[in-house]
Amino acid sequence: MKDPISVGLGEQVVSRDPEDILVAYGLGSCMGVSMVDPVTRLSGLLHAVLPRWTSGMEPMDPASSKYVDSGIERLLATMIKEGANRHRLIVRIAGGANMLIAPGLKNSFEIGTRNIETARSTFQRLNMTVKAEDVGGNIGRTVRLYVADSRLTVRIIGEKEKEL
Amino acid sequence: MPEETLPFDQELLELLKSITSEGIKNAARGFSGMVGHKIEVSNPVATLVPLLGIAKIVGGPENEAVGIYLRIEGDLLGQIMMIIPYQKSMELVDLLMDLPEGTTQSLGSMERSALGELGNMCGAFFLNSLAKMVGASFRPTPPAVMVDMVGAILDVIIATTGGVSEHVLLMQANFMEGQRSVEADFWVIPDLKTLEILINKNNTI
Repeated sequence: MKDPISVGLGEQVVSRDPEDILVAYGLGSCMGVSMVDPVTRLSGLLHAVLPRWTSGMEPMDPASSKYVDSGIERLLATMIKEGANRHRLIVRIAGGANMLIAPGLKNSFEIGTRNIETARSTFQRLNMTVKAEDVGGNIGRTVRLYVADSRLTVRIIGEKEKEL
Repeated sequence: MPEETLPFDQELLELLKSITSEGIKNAARGFSGMVGHKIEVSNPVATLVPLLGIAKIVGGPENEAVGIYLRIEGDLLGQIMMIIPYQKSMELVDLLMDLPEGTTQSLGSMERSALGELGNMCGAFFLNSLAKMVGASFRPTPPAVMVDMVGAILDVIIATTGGVSEHVLLMQANFMEGQRSVEADFWVIPDLKTLEILINKNNTI
């Protein structure tokens, strides 16, 4: 069996190899965004860090994957370029936790929440439906996307993988 | 947008090392006073590591760890995070609370608060050393203690620095009591402003 492919911070990976498992390890406030074309089995996973890209950039610039909004657009463009049909794409998202809960550390640390809101609004703008979510809270998640059968699982500390 | 690179030169690194080393030694003294038995800190080592390399050092982004996080407020803003692998953190609790090795088997609120206090002390003494050197005033916020995957803990720093800090200062030190010793990693993550103050100060010395 092949080793799982780690999708690092600010990266995206797209695969159609049924032996591949795409993994975003330890998502805290970061967002994992998965797109799957159920017909071609083309599968993509994005590991975005911050909500919005603020200045202009080239749509396919790899740096755009660091941000939820531009990262989603780049992943979508890559999926389409690789032969996915945009209307078939199954979108699932996970992550966006607010890791810090402490007195005096309110408000300024809601990057997780802003990441979730940005993901939802970006898909709304793109006219795409988010099929499933496991977002928010204050807990880290590892997200695995199995290319072979399009399963997306979420694991938290002390528990087994759960299918989303 | 090109990512800004921190102006870490050798001289600044040496300066940071000496502040950190001084701060962590003071913290050990302070902590000994609090728990009533002598805790020493030996061999503080400071190195610059890429922020994204930390997860590997701690054993992979999915590994369970304890993160103790403080923000710096006052004349300068910044943040300090202490990351200890889960197993080590329990050894550290035993050491700090003067319990036989292996006593602590999980981290309840008492244990978390002991670790938070350790982070608090390390942070406060580090800041005092820094404040003395640059003649400014700042204080740490109360500590936030997280027990979670390393990757998720690091997101806190990554999300707030936004990739500005490509490298962080990694401190490793041994906490010792008699024959017992626990190695802990202590990260100091200064933001650009902190460094500017230090650089300006350093240039005028």
